[in-house]
Amino acid sequence: MPPDPSSAPAPPRALSRRTLLAGLATGSLAATSGCIRQLRTLANRDAPDQVSLEIKTAPADADPRSIYIARFLSSNLNAVGIETSIVPMSLEELLRDVLLNQSFDIYVMRHPRTASPNFVYSLLHSRFDAEPGWQNPFGYANLGVDDMLDEQRTQSGDAREATLHEIQSAVARDQPFAPIAIPDEIRATRGDRFSGWSAADMHTLLGYLRLRPTTTETPEQPQNGPTNETTTETSQQTTAPPLRMTLKDPRATRNLNPIAVEFRGDGDITEMLYDPLARPIGGDLVPWLAHEWSWVDSDTAGPAVEVTLREDLLWHDATPLTAADVAFTFDFLRDTSGGALDSPVPAPRYRDRSTLVTQAVETGRRTVRIEFEPVSREVAQTAFSLPLLPKHIWETKTGQATIAGLDTIGGVTEALIWSNSNPVGSGPLRFVSATDGESLTLAPFDDHFLTRDVSDGPLAPFQGGFEPSELEFVVVPSDGAALALMEQDDADATASPLGAESISQIGQSDVLRLHVSKPTSFYHVGFNVRQSPLSNPRFRRAVAQLLDKQHIVNEVFGGYASAIATPLAPYPVAAPALRWEGEDPELPFPGEDGELDIELAKESFRSAGYRYNEAGELLRR
Amino acid sequence: MALFEILAYLAIGVGVMIAIGSVTFIGPSQLSVLRENWRFRLREVSPYLGLLAGILAINKVARQVGPEISWVVGLNITSYIYRIEGDFVAFVQSIATDQLTVYFSFIYLYGYVFLLVFPFILTFALRETKYLKQTAVAFALNYSLGLIFYILFVSYGPRNLIPDLVDPLMYSMYPQSQLLTGEVNSNTNVFPSLHTSLSVTVAYLAWFTRDRFPYWFVTSCFLAASVVMATMYLGIHWGTDVVAGTILGLGSVHIARKHYEIFEFLRVDLWSLPVFNRLR
Repeated sequence: MPPDPSSAPAPPRALSRRTLLAGLATGSLAATSGCIRQLRTLANRDAPDQVSLEIKTAPADADPRSIYIARFLSSNLNAVGIETSIVPMSLEELLRDVLLNQSFDIYVMRHPRTASPNFVYSLLHSRFDAEPGWQNPFGYANLGVDDMLDEQRTQSGDAREATLHEIQSAVARDQPFAPIAIPDEIRATRGDRFSGWSAADMHTLLGYLRLRPTTTETPEQPQNGPTNETTTETSQQTTAPPLRMTLKDPRATRNLNPIAVEFRGDGDITEMLYDPLARPIGGDLVPWLAHEWSWVDSDTAGPAVEVTLREDLLWHDATPLTAADVAFTFDFLRDTSGGALDSPVPAPRYRDRSTLVTQAVETGRRTVRIEFEPVSREVAQTAFSLPLLPKHIWETKTGQATIAGLDTIGGVTEALIWSNSNPVGSGPLRFVSATDGESLTLAPFDDHFLTRDVSDGPLAPFQGGFEPSELEFVVVPSDGAALALMEQDDADATASPLGAESISQIGQSDVLRLHVSKPTSFYHVGFNVRQSPLSNPRFRRAVAQLLDKQHIVNEVFGGYASAIATPLAPYPVAAPALRWEGEDPELPFPGEDGELDIELAKESFRSAGYRYNEAGELLRR
Repeated sequence: MALFEILAYLAIGVGVMIAIGSVTFIGPSQLSVLRENWRFRLREVSPYLGLLAGILAINKVARQVGPEISWVVGLNITSYIYRIEGDFVAFVQSIATDQLTVYFSFIYLYGYVFLLVFPFILTFALRETKYLKQTAVAFALNYSLGLIFYILFVSYGPRNLIPDLVDPLMYSMYPQSQLLTGEVNSNTNVFPSLHTSLSVTVAYLAWFTRDRFPYWFVTSCFLAASVVMATMYLGIHWGTDVVAGTILGLGSVHIARKHYEIFEFLRVDLWSLPVFNRLR
């Protein structure tokens, strides 16, 4: 294998220099003149180093699964002669390093929940290599895959499915990342105060809107007061109790900026604060803030749509929500600098959808015309689920980000680093208060359309909006602490999913109930394809092969997960060739039950062109 | 609130231990010393207690912002520590039994707090104020040097890096305890172990008053050894943290005993405060 020009040269070898000096010191210069040339040739070559890789992941407190996977991979990498170190990092720092700074070799993480298979477009397209966020953090570039990704956006039905199958096969071959498993989400509730829990969407806006209080709370009454008619009447004026959820991930207590990628995870709280035009409900895209939309003729190659908003929409600060806000949002997500900087600074979140729109123009107070790239309507309409942002607040955040007026960071706008600690959205819940690392409180937004618009359509179950008096998230350090709080009636349910170890504890409890669902988010091992040796797909395949996914599912997830070979596994468009049947269809594990056949595994590295030294270390070149 | 309950238990438990300790280690005759000249002695040591209170106040604030600064300027040394000592903590945990977990959890929470508070009562019962002054300075050094380490280094404990080998025994048995320790510590601050350094500090200081309080010396050594062991047994600290903590503790006492008087200057300012005038 030729030396990689991009890799940094190894530091000068102290030993070779000393050898050279020793040779000179003998004084027998003439006798060794030929030897010196040889020595110089040798000394100026970098000695081959052992391949060493760093695995970044979250600590056990934040995500015990990831660190187990990292440990499994690390020990197998050591077994095949690759030096590894695991670097545990807080979730924010990890996402910053992986998604924003692209400074990593290998990472182990969970990809957030997705609503449609369209997310692979931004995850894998090489045009996003230089962009921060969940778009191509690997630096993967395959022109054939790019073409297919573009093509499937214009297709629909079977044709699109066929293209998606091909994309999955190509990506499985290249392994820019190794998909591991989709974990079952395990949660617990107390059944006594609220009904309507559904495992599938518990920690999502729709899940919260479905809840109905089974009890009501009486406001505290003075015990010794006179008991006449009036007080009895007051005591009957009861209110719904607050809903108290436990949260393991404290990021939302620090930052509520919907576009800050390092602070956002699954079932995110900002989706409760920021409403979109439409929400996916039961597999369909249902008009939400939009009253209706109609596809119209366009002069461009792509489709165009005219969207009409519901009447009398308001932001949480009582400012009217108009078509101008909608048009602003679509422009803003594509360029958070509002055209003020030399090159656009897109929001690093929602790129799969924000790249669909070419232009959004307000055509009336409640109507907006949106023009799309040349894509199918099926794909285009996924853009309706983008969160809408109030123009009057976000247009002040388009300036370039600075640190205390000292330094200017190129290509970053204030909008991206703003913590948005007092968010103004239009969702059914509004922000009340937050304590860093401890709690976050939201309350129902009384002017939301759900509280007045009557419908018997798919929105019927959400009529009236959020019923509990408040939604409080309490940050807990562990699953055990979460269950302890619930047992003591200090919490109603777990917002963050629990580990499989909690199942028996929930089963033994009289008050706790178990909920298990299969989400779309998946654990994976990401490779930084920009640097040697991970730039070599053969090397990546040899590494990915070391992950015994079935064993990981059994041991790490306690069986509560499904091993996968493609990130689209939970969707109907999953490639049949990559279906999981006991072992990985693309990269079967060389060994059994997690026990690696080291010689067989080493053979993959040898056949990828790598060498071993006598000590059994895999050499860089 | 659950946290309040835990704190109440801790306060009651440690209160009982202090009461028993006062009677057994200090003794009724020596306790009577507490009653004579206490104003004078309090005035003597007040600058030192003030110094410690100031350091603790700074610590409290810095512990909140510290982890954030650490991620910017600090070095993540978790993997280096693991490379040095490997699975040593897992080896320590191989002796684990439920009884030992109960014991070490008790030591880690109650025993440690008692060990930290009691020396102040003990040395206050002595006519010479230097022991209390030295204790305050040694504590202040522990906390301030520890804080510098916490800002310079990011490191996670064994339970966070090698959870397949090391169990968070206390947090598994008493999940609520993590609510309390989470209030006090950040999980990125394990190097060095302040539990170790302060326990070693107390035991080392007890050596110098062993003539007066022989039983306290023996007890503090035993408690300190238990706390040191607990930090590893419970999977919270690495052996490396304990070694660094021991050095920090011994060093702090050494410096405090030699140079504690440089803080006498604090007295000049405090002396003029109306509060202290009234005490006179």
